[in-house]
Amino acid sequence: MIFDSYEAFRAANFKPKVCILGSGPAGTTIARKLGAAGIPVVVLEAGSREFSDESQDFYRGTTVGDFYFDLDITRLRFMGGSSNHWAGWCRVLDKQDFEPKAWAPDTGWPIRRADIEPYLPEVHDILELPDFRPDVPISDDIRWVQLIKSPAVRFAEKFADELDKSRNIAVVLNTYATELAGDGKRVTGARLWSNGQDAGSFSADYFIVCTGGLENSRLLLWSNQRSNGGVVPNATALGRYWMEHPTFEGGNAILADYGEFEVDAVNEAFFSPTLAAMERLQIMNFGIRLIETPYAGIKHVIADLACTAPDMAEWVAYQLSQNLRCAAQLYVAWEQAPLASNQIELSKTDVDHAGVPRIELHWKKSELERRTLVEGLKLFGTTLIEKDLGRVRLIDWIANGEDYPTNEETAGHHHMGGTRMGTDIARSVVDANCKVHGMDNLYIGGSSVFCTSGQANPTTTITALACRLGEHLSKVVAV
Amino acid sequence: MSFFKKMSRRSIVQALIALPALSLFRKLPDANASDSDPSHADPNEIVEVNGWILKRSDLA
Repeated sequence: MIFDSYEAFRAANFKPKVCILGSGPAGTTIARKLGAAGIPVVVLEAGSREFSDESQDFYRGTTVGDFYFDLDITRLRFMGGSSNHWAGWCRVLDKQDFEPKAWAPDTGWPIRRADIEPYLPEVHDILELPDFRPDVPISDDIRWVQLIKSPAVRFAEKFADELDKSRNIAVVLNTYATELAGDGKRVTGARLWSNGQDAGSFSADYFIVCTGGLENSRLLLWSNQRSNGGVVPNATALGRYWMEHPTFEGGNAILADYGEFEVDAVNEAFFSPTLAAMERLQIMNFGIRLIETPYAGIKHVIADLACTAPDMAEWVAYQLSQNLRCAAQLYVAWEQAPLASNQIELSKTDVDHAGVPRIELHWKKSELERRTLVEGLKLFGTTLIEKDLGRVRLIDWIANGEDYPTNEETAGHHHMGGTRMGTDIARSVVDANCKVHGMDNLYIGGSSVFCTSGQANPTTTITALACRLGEHLSKVVAV
Repeated sequence: MSFFKKMSRRSIVQALIALPALSLFRKLPDANASDSDPSHADPNEIVEVNGWILKRSDLA
């Protein structure tokens, strides 16, 4: 069932046991799991079926620290959530991403990759993915990894018919939960705003917050403030340890044989470090994206090399005469070290149309991350030399130690952390089952529970965690 | 000063253009990074020159 307003939903007299906030990949996946288990569930979606400027305006906010995207551009507020502008890149976090790292504080998850692997066949069906090939080690330091460019499933498009026909799932559009109320043990209700006005309160046995990697923290910070700590009783880590995947052009590579690495349909191949290399260099995970360079770009790279190593340039020019595809651009995306100081706060001066404070995002890249970028590129360059595969040139701003540019990709629009998973209540918000510490009926879905970000795009892991949470809740709610 | 006065403006300009090509002015790896005697330097040593990650022997 899909309703266009809370009034229409109320008139239908549907009695859900579970209330899910948000209809993005996490919310939709959990709803489908619960619906399939025969559990009545309502999904409250703040936006409508289509994009609108009015809805997006609720997402405006400010950023303090490093340059970042406008907060109403980097995510979408309508049915299907940010899957509506997802590029489709898929890969689950690496096994090593779940492990604690002695050189990076506050790393390590309370679950392991093996805990989500049983859900991967289901994830492949949802995201329409072929099987992944295993990583290929090209040296002791570098792995050739696979990210799959999927059809970029738009969750609303793909599942709207199924949701509409479901007798156990009600999706209520244009209905924004502005705050949750709680008594320190349970969420007792949600305050709603529907079609531009206050719509009263709503209660259910269980609440699952799936409003996105920025909005989950905002909703819970505001709810906690209004309930005097009754929604997230242990709130030290709430809004903190927020992470992105910083992404910048890192330089060029000249390859002896471009066919050495099979590229995907968009002429890209990906490389990441081994755990041994990360330990030795004390860096975070990273992904180097190798993209075929247009011919004009190749000439520029060779001319540059000729000034430094003329004989080498002569060899490359020969390679070019044999094979037009001998050079590549290198883009690097890397794992941010989880820092409590990277956090979502509530604005003290600016509120949205429903009176909820907007986000003030504090975000800064650390020295460890700069080292990850530089050492990662050098590691890749060294590997190409040792394996006689080619040479790497760092882009000028990296080679010269200059500041990050502000006219590049900047980051992946991947919003992670803020309500991270853990066992220490001072450093986490939810437990290994995504239940808020100290609360009996409040769970969180989505990338805000990530403890670390790894280097892989988050949607695949979000969907796997949602399958796991949906299955867990099916058992909990059925009792 | 007298040496430069004897040179034409054209010669001075040509000399200035040629200067960066002289090995004296090329940014080569730090001599202290390995052996100060180039003949003893490891040709497989990884060096970073002008942003390029290279083998020392690439610089030959």
